[in-house]
Amino acid sequence: MSEARLYPGTGPDERTHFAPYSAFDIPADLRELHGRYDVEATARRVRNFRYAEEWMMMILGGWVATIPELPVKTGLGKIIWESAQAADVLGKRLPELRCGRKAVAASESANTGFARFVEAVSEPDRPDQTIEKLVGVFDVLKPHLAEVYERQMRETDQIADAPTIELLDEIVRRTRRHIAWGQEVLDRLCDTDGARERRRVRGEQLRELLRACGGVTGQLG
Amino acid sequence: MRRFIHHSELARDSRFIRQDNITATVLSTLPDDVDTVVEVFSKLDAMIEKSVQGTEALPLYEEHGPGFGLITLNEPLDPDDPVAATRLLLRMHGIFVGELQALEGAGRSLWDFPDAPWEFKMNMARQCWDETRHVQIYEKLLRHVGGYAGMFPESTFLFECACADDPALRVAGVNRGLEGLACDVFRDMIRYAEKTGDDTMRQAVDYVLADELTHVRFGSEWVKEFTQGDAERFERAQEFRRQVDKQFSFGGARSEREDAAIPIAWEDRKEAGFTDQELEELKTLSAQGPSKDTLLAAARVLRERHRARRAAEARA
Repeated sequence: MSEARLYPGTGPDERTHFAPYSAFDIPADLRELHGRYDVEATARRVRNFRYAEEWMMMILGGWVATIPELPVKTGLGKIIWESAQAADVLGKRLPELRCGRKAVAASESANTGFARFVEAVSEPDRPDQTIEKLVGVFDVLKPHLAEVYERQMRETDQIADAPTIELLDEIVRRTRRHIAWGQEVLDRLCDTDGARERRRVRGEQLRELLRACGGVTGQLG
Repeated sequence: MRRFIHHSELARDSRFIRQDNITATVLSTLPDDVDTVVEVFSKLDAMIEKSVQGTEALPLYEEHGPGFGLITLNEPLDPDDPVAATRLLLRMHGIFVGELQALEGAGRSLWDFPDAPWEFKMNMARQCWDETRHVQIYEKLLRHVGGYAGMFPESTFLFECACADDPALRVAGVNRGLEGLACDVFRDMIRYAEKTGDDTMRQAVDYVLADELTHVRFGSEWVKEFTQGDAERFERAQEFRRQVDKQFSFGGARSEREDAAIPIAWEDRKEAGFTDQELEELKTLSAQGPSKDTLLAAARVLRERHRARRAAEARA
């Protein structure tokens, strides 16, 4: 009796004795090929995301000096660093998406409207505008980004574009934490009807700008 | 949001009281002459008196007059000194607000220089987080030694002196001048904590010092990068750092002089990227200024005049 083959030979009667087993059987892999975005579209969206994260980091950095509330100043320090890390990993994804090795620092606004929205977020300057400052980032921009990132993760090719999903997964986790922190601080700062009204008005103004430009990717709705 | 804010625009809550920066910067301009020191601080008396109102510095002012800073600043931290606790609180509070300004300086570097290279932005963003932790650490250490935020007036001279409009000069001022000073002060704090057996303070400050070395290293690397191929700009950055170092030497209180309250942390600075030549320069320029004996003699004159004035006011 011939020994069971460990390695396939060149003929059909020279197969190995191992039982057929698909790598996808257990655990079941329900992912399907094909997503909404091709390589170019994903690269463009990653540049858009990077633009938002980079500017958010710079704006928060500028505000630290003009915010009088000490816990807000110190709370922002880590968020600045984590926004920088988000922009950094997004940039490192770009050469992997055929954007060239020098693309690691490439940021791109989807359109001039989104650039104007970011400028509007950055406008509050005075120390009595902590509410207006935080609303722009924690009530409007970060929630919008978290939503778009999550949609990107759902809609992109689950296998082919898994590296983008992985990095967005971590960014979303942190972004959700930032939003929770920011909104807790805003709830604390908005302890009068007047302050709550300032929060509402500022949020509405910025959401309108965001809707008008189509959000971070210019393709909202 | 505007770029390049003035140091007076640094935002604080109602606990903080601002002190005019001249009381800190003037020290680097004074000669080793008792009469001149007395004359200058007499002129600043009204300003100093105003800034200590409502703070824990008021009793110090009432006891010593406008020269109280000369006494507290120019003596080393010695656990056996009867006023060690007050001196420690003053220093700890000074470090706490210094860390706040370092955080603000790093943050402003992100906003003021939007076209800077990405790696520079990453370094500054990291520094924001580090300085944030330092503020939190020193707020807790301040409480640990019986103090609280806002207990003394805050001078914003660290931000004023270090935050130039040119990024090469900014990193020379903030990352090499200010953070270099932090290395010296923190090494001294660690020595103090070891002497007093305060392991909480020793360990926390040791971690902070490790961060500061990294920040100085950022500065050393970015000065080189920003001035590459531009010898004139490099020399301007070096000259700016020398000016900052001179101002941050408080007329010799931070120096290698025998009477210095805070010695230069030579080994830490070398590890952070300072060259031997730069350290020799620092040794020379920080040693300039009035001696400890001169400052203490001036402080005595100022105290006597202050007491005489108070007595005259009481009689009137």
